[in-house]
Amino acid sequence: MAPMMQQAFRRKPVEVMAAETGIDGHGGGQLARTIGLFPLTMIGVGATIGTGIFFILSEAVPVAGPAVVWSFVIAGAVAGLTALCYAELASAVPVSGSSYSYAYATLGEVVAMGVAACLLLEYGVSGAAVAVGWSQYLNQLLGNLFGFEIPELLSQSPEGGGLINLPAVVLIALCALLLIRGASESATVNAVMVVLKLAVLVMFVVLGITGWNSDNLADFAPYGVTGVTGAAGIIFFAYVGLDAVSTAGEEVKNPRRTMPIAIVLALLIVTSVYVAVALVAVAAQPQAGFEGQEAGLAAILENVVGASWPGTVLAAGAIVSIFSVTLVVIYGQTRILFAIGRDGMLPSFFQQVNARTRTPVNNTILVAVVVGLLAGFLPINFLAEMTSIGTLVAFLVVSIGVIVLRRTAPDLPRGFRVPGYPVTPILSVLGCLWIINNLRPITIAVFGIWVAVVLVWYFTYGIRHSRLRAGDVPGDVS
Amino acid sequence: MTVLVGLSRDERAPAAVHLGVLLARSLDDDLLVCTVVPPPWPPGMGRVDAEYQDYLDRSAQEAIERARELVPPDRPAAFVVARARSTPVGLLDVAQEHGARLLVLGSSTAGVLGRVAFGSVADRLLHTSPLPLVLGPRGFRCRRDATVRRVTVAYGATDGAGELVVAVAGMAARVGAALRVASFAVRPHTPLTAGVGSRAEDAVASEWTADVERAQCAVLKEVERLPRQPSGLEAVVGHGTDWAGAIEDIGWDDGELLAVGSSTAGPIERVFIGSRSSRIVRHSPVPVVVVPRGAAQALAERAENDVG
Repeated sequence: MAPMMQQAFRRKPVEVMAAETGIDGHGGGQLARTIGLFPLTMIGVGATIGTGIFFILSEAVPVAGPAVVWSFVIAGAVAGLTALCYAELASAVPVSGSSYSYAYATLGEVVAMGVAACLLLEYGVSGAAVAVGWSQYLNQLLGNLFGFEIPELLSQSPEGGGLINLPAVVLIALCALLLIRGASESATVNAVMVVLKLAVLVMFVVLGITGWNSDNLADFAPYGVTGVTGAAGIIFFAYVGLDAVSTAGEEVKNPRRTMPIAIVLALLIVTSVYVAVALVAVAAQPQAGFEGQEAGLAAILENVVGASWPGTVLAAGAIVSIFSVTLVVIYGQTRILFAIGRDGMLPSFFQQVNARTRTPVNNTILVAVVVGLLAGFLPINFLAEMTSIGTLVAFLVVSIGVIVLRRTAPDLPRGFRVPGYPVTPILSVLGCLWIINNLRPITIAVFGIWVAVVLVWYFTYGIRHSRLRAGDVPGDVS
Repeated sequence: MTVLVGLSRDERAPAAVHLGVLLARSLDDDLLVCTVVPPPWPPGMGRVDAEYQDYLDRSAQEAIERARELVPPDRPAAFVVARARSTPVGLLDVAQEHGARLLVLGSSTAGVLGRVAFGSVADRLLHTSPLPLVLGPRGFRCRRDATVRRVTVAYGATDGAGELVVAVAGMAARVGAALRVASFAVRPHTPLTAGVGSRAEDAVASEWTADVERAQCAVLKEVERLPRQPSGLEAVVGHGTDWAGAIEDIGWDDGELLAVGSSTAGPIERVFIGSRSSRIVRHSPVPVVVVPRGAAQALAERAENDVG
């Protein structure tokens, strides 16, 4: 058993990681530090807004009531703490990547595989959830513009009374096609999307506030603190992506200063927008109206204004911005699997690159098929909760990683250090645990089974095929 | 055989003539310089069209005279003025009539000095020419006795790419030049909002590079089996965040040519430049040969059976 444990906790040497990504010294060295505070903040805002706010209220309000506003604040605070921890770990491991790479370099192979299981939820499952939300807004837009809606049979999951959510499946297929052709979102596209999303949400707040009715807020927290934290668990989904700021560390000017400010700024912007939207929504519509509401923001706006055009505009904005989010999320998923494949823990199928398109085609198709199945057949609330728990656990591991690394490698140069150590990472861990604890038991159980499946895969396949074992690269088993 | 130079009647002409001389000397072929003028219209009342026609004929003759001065006396060269409604058609007719093996053109003045830029004639021919097309960078010049010393072939490790390499190897061997097989690993920027770091694409690019290096080795083995060998063999991969960087990365010499193939989207007997080839060509600092797929097949077969 001892040698097996030793293998399971072997760490991937940082030099090997650096050598793998740098190609014969061609551009493998330092990336130019070109990103300043403002673009970095925009990366954070762009990666975060749009994943959840457009459809999460109809899941969260029935759980918390109007006090859902506090759920946003709690989820935002926890997301901010973890993002700071993420930034330290990212700066300590001088190769950029996802939390999978950081965990592999600092905590060992088996932890990295656990994190990978979480990331499959954070990316793959959130891609499915986002695509389902997209299909709701697409139907809203079609209904408003042409008086035609895709029949329930083809736009609802089996649980929602349909057969398959076809628009969501088509969206994912389109994204996969673009990725196979080698499309990638540029900084300009991100900037345009940020403006679009903010404009749409600001429009919601400005128009929606005319429908303010304090009576709707009378019973502010019908389900008490439990309701608020339970909703925070669902809402955490809306903060997925804030960690993108941390992974850009290598290209950030003066990261020690820029990084925390950008994270906090992005968090403030995102949380303010979310709270404003949530407050206006719960004030404009009685809480009973949220349950099962589709394309929620557009529907509320139409009821408030009494005309269909604001809903149409909002739906159009949501469709464009959610599309870009889906594209980026699927992209991230394929590249994470690619990295795991290169480390030998997945079959080489995942790391084959098509000679013509220069993209990992097999990998992309497989991801699209799986995400498409999830989006086509599962309801959004389940997908959102699975994403939240996956992200929370990944963040939890990262926060623990910061503490572990401070003890095991105190002298490692770090581009960025968490302010208020050790309080910040401990608070981050506690915050994650608190929110996880309030998720539905079924979510926690499914998550446990999923991680177990991935670990079984690791102990039957990964541990034997890992390139660290094969001796391709010297392992660090100290 | 003949090397045909399409001569424009402006400041671009010397580049094409220099390139034609370089190729004719390297291949030991005759040089044919051709300029195309529009045919006369039916005579009009004012006789203005006749004056215009006179002007065209005069300018064509002047262009020919200037070109004649650029051709060294030791090279056999002929000069013609063709009449055709369309310059590309006129050039192809002349090429067929004289059995030309290559058609040489200069770059558009809209391009950057030292880079290849397609003008309207080149653009048309890049999608229809039945014979290999050579495009010189804008402002191309070379010494009077220069010859081709190295041919770099752009290799994409896709179907039919091996054939192009063998064909170009045969040509390089014929002119006594070295062969370089070049592939270009262009790494796009990773979208930072994806949260997978700024180097996610590096991993994909390095995997692609490993694959393409294996393919390059295999195709070089094929070349080594040819009866006549180029004077040197080499394989390189250029890295960059865009095509310009990747192409610059491998370094270029005087007396070098770049050969690219035709897209499989086009008909087999004609040049049909693909999206990637077109990017490569536009960033090339050296003259570019674009080979139709049919010609690549024929040349590859000839190289394999060449015994003398």
